[in-house]
Amino acid sequence: MSLEPIAFAALAALVLASALAVVLTKNLFHSVLYLALSLTATAGIFLTLDAEFLAAIQLLLYAGGVVTIVVFAIVVTERLVGDRITQTSRYLVNGALAAGALLIAVWGTVRSVPLPVARPPLPGDVTRAIGQALLTRFVLPFELLGVLFLAALLGAIYFARPDE
Amino acid sequence: MTDTGALTLTALLLPAAAFLLLAIVAPLRRSGRPAAYVSVLFAAGALSSAVRAWAISARGGYSLWLWPWIPMEAGPLTSVGVLADADSTLMLVLVAGVSFLVQLYSLGYLADESAPSLGRYYAYQSLFAFSMMGLVLAPNFVQLFICWELVGLCSYLLIGYWYRRPEAARAAVKAFWTTKAGDVGLLIGIVLLYRQAGTFDFLQLLELVDAGALPLAGLGAITFCIYLGAVGKSAQFPLHVWLPDAMEGPTPVSALIHAATMVTAGVYLLVRTAWLFDQTPEVLEIVGWVGAFTALLAATLACVQSDIKRVLAYSTVSQLGYMMAAIGAGFASVGFLHLLTHGVFKALLFLGAGAVIHAVGSNDIFAMGGLRRSMPQTFIVFLVGTLSLAGIPFFAGFFSKEEILGAMWAGGLGIPFAMLALAAFLTAFYMFRVVFIAFFGAPAAAGHGAPGGHGAAAHAHDAPASMAVPLWILAVLAVAIGVGFAVRHPEAEFAAPAWLTPLAVGLAVAGILLAWLTYHRRAVDAARLSGAFALVRDAAANRFWLDDAFLAIYRGVILGVSRLVGWIDRYLVDGVVNLLSAWALGAGDRLRRIQSGQPQDYVYGVALGVLLLIVWFRWLG
Amino acid sequence: MGLQAYLLLAGALFAIGLFGVITRRNTIGILLGIELMLNAVNINLVAFARFNGDPVGMVFTVFTICITVAEVALGLALVILIFRVRRTVIADHLDILRG
Repeated sequence: MSLEPIAFAALAALVLASALAVVLTKNLFHSVLYLALSLTATAGIFLTLDAEFLAAIQLLLYAGGVVTIVVFAIVVTERLVGDRITQTSRYLVNGALAAGALLIAVWGTVRSVPLPVARPPLPGDVTRAIGQALLTRFVLPFELLGVLFLAALLGAIYFARPDE
Repeated sequence: MTDTGALTLTALLLPAAAFLLLAIVAPLRRSGRPAAYVSVLFAAGALSSAVRAWAISARGGYSLWLWPWIPMEAGPLTSVGVLADADSTLMLVLVAGVSFLVQLYSLGYLADESAPSLGRYYAYQSLFAFSMMGLVLAPNFVQLFICWELVGLCSYLLIGYWYRRPEAARAAVKAFWTTKAGDVGLLIGIVLLYRQAGTFDFLQLLELVDAGALPLAGLGAITFCIYLGAVGKSAQFPLHVWLPDAMEGPTPVSALIHAATMVTAGVYLLVRTAWLFDQTPEVLEIVGWVGAFTALLAATLACVQSDIKRVLAYSTVSQLGYMMAAIGAGFASVGFLHLLTHGVFKALLFLGAGAVIHAVGSNDIFAMGGLRRSMPQTFIVFLVGTLSLAGIPFFAGFFSKEEILGAMWAGGLGIPFAMLALAAFLTAFYMFRVVFIAFFGAPAAAGHGAPGGHGAAAHAHDAPASMAVPLWILAVLAVAIGVGFAVRHPEAEFAAPAWLTPLAVGLAVAGILLAWLTYHRRAVDAARLSGAFALVRDAAANRFWLDDAFLAIYRGVILGVSRLVGWIDRYLVDGVVNLLSAWALGAGDRLRRIQSGQPQDYVYGVALGVLLLIVWFRWLG
Repeated sequence: MGLQAYLLLAGALFAIGLFGVITRRNTIGILLGIELMLNAVNINLVAFARFNGDPVGMVFTVFTICITVAEVALGLALVILIFRVRRTVIADHLDILRG
């Protein structure tokens, strides 16, 4: 009895359950916390996929950075208590419809094609491979990413500056 | 030059050049008298060419000059050019001659016009001369029709020369419309003929007819349609109503266009295509009957007119009926002869009347009187014209009129013959009625009917030289022609009964006698005379209600159809467009509600789009 | 677990994120939904990378994570700005672009 399917099932359940909680909780702060949980579970999924580096990145940037930012935003906008979802009945039906249809479409597509089960071997050190790829084959996007961050930084500072 | 083709072409192009010169060089036209001199000079040149051409053509043969116009694979569809033979050159002389004399006369008659108006008048005159000559010399139906329409246009322009007068403007439009009704028939006839024969050319058609190669089926309809054009242009019943109203134009215009040339175009057309009409005797019979009826009808109408120009206008209608009747009897050359003599003496009468109007200041014969003493020269020339028209021997009209009566008898058209005889009696009567009222007796009292005259009849004087010279030329010509025919009878195509000449002369003398008794001697009371024919007189006073009938047709039919079409256009055609635009607006109005401003709606839309794409590629692609 | 399981997981997560985006009235809630959708994409990428034996997919994931971080930062800056101006973060009230 392999451990792997059990691990996957547990982690997948966690991801989905906490995701549902994110979208259904009335309290926005709770939503954020559930989001953090979901992102952490996703890091676990990455581990089952032998992507240790990505799991680490996920935890650092997503579960750590993004959640922090969102919490700050919530505090600034002073909306700790969220609104009742039931008030948006119009969107509820639409959303359920769209999401449901999309789910069916994607699942149908995925299940209709035979997909590999066996995992091919990865090149020895994945992290090293990623690092080398970043600095050789993908060096240009890597540098542009730096530019992107600069732009984002400047933009964020500009937007959030205090009124004169 | 000895080629008649070249000579006639010169005669044709000189007035065209004058027109182009006056039309394009505006300063020349606006200068008035210099423009007039240019036009008159070119007209003189045209006349000399025409006379020379006739002198050569009278010996026989013809000359044909053609330039291909509309190209097609198997030769040109139609050409333009000149066909100069005995008939066309003779007609050309008449046109060029009267045109020249009228232009000369206008120098005096229109001396009071402003310079730009005068220039405009002479431009129109030159254009008319060119158009009429183009018609006369036309070698095929297409050129004939084009010049036919051009002539109609010039008539419109010249009748409405004093366009600020509403009556003149209306008369011009009426002339145009009435002749247009006939022109439609002419066009249809020409096209049908082309379909039947495959050519427009006169000489080619003549060959076909001579060879018996022209199918007779449907030819009656064709010749009738062509005749319709003549009905309009030559003022046959019922399309004669425009000619009396056309007297709103200047008198020289009436002399030229509505006496000698344009109105005779219909007669000329039938003469030119007589070989075609000979193939359809049933149509010729219609022509004869309508002509005789027109002659009688117009003669009765002339008896009750007090406007001297209207008397002459109805007289012209009547004489045109004579010409048509002769053609209908099958003797086209007799009708053509009367066309020529009538051209001379009717122009003379109109120009004489113009002199009288110019002197007295009014058209009303009852505003005149005693002009024999105050305008002796005018009296003489007018009397010459009247005697010609009445058909007195040794004057121009006698021989041609007698020939027509003989032709009717020889052609076996008995009732038309009687109508024409009665018309001859009436012609003499109404013309001498005018003579006795206007030229004899005492001058009319002051303020009698004359707007500008205070007893102007008493102070009238003879015309100036520019007007008198053409009058004398025409008068001499009338007498010369009359004497010439009396001396040298051209041989007749038929045998006239012996009692014909005495009858013709007797009718004329009887008419003159009755007029003398009624209007000079006052032995017969005019009122009682007209009372004896009260019905006819009242009908004549209303112009036999023909104008009213036409007006009713116009109001009822044409305006009704126009209103219907207008309604369809406004509500159906525009309605469709308006409906489409309303739909577009409505749809836009409703579609804009998709833009709710809520970003979540847009996300929803995107999601739907993605779903659709998945469905499409997965299950339908 | 085969590739299918991971793809199904990613699909479900994506649908849940979409539901969140459409239904949430709070703008920050909408952003959280977007986060979930991006997360699903990442799972997809890594799964394919693993089952193709090619770490390029993981490099791609690194990029998407970074870009997501930048986007969240800016998005929240905008939310704060709107809150300052309009005193509301409820998406329904932000309908100036209504047609």
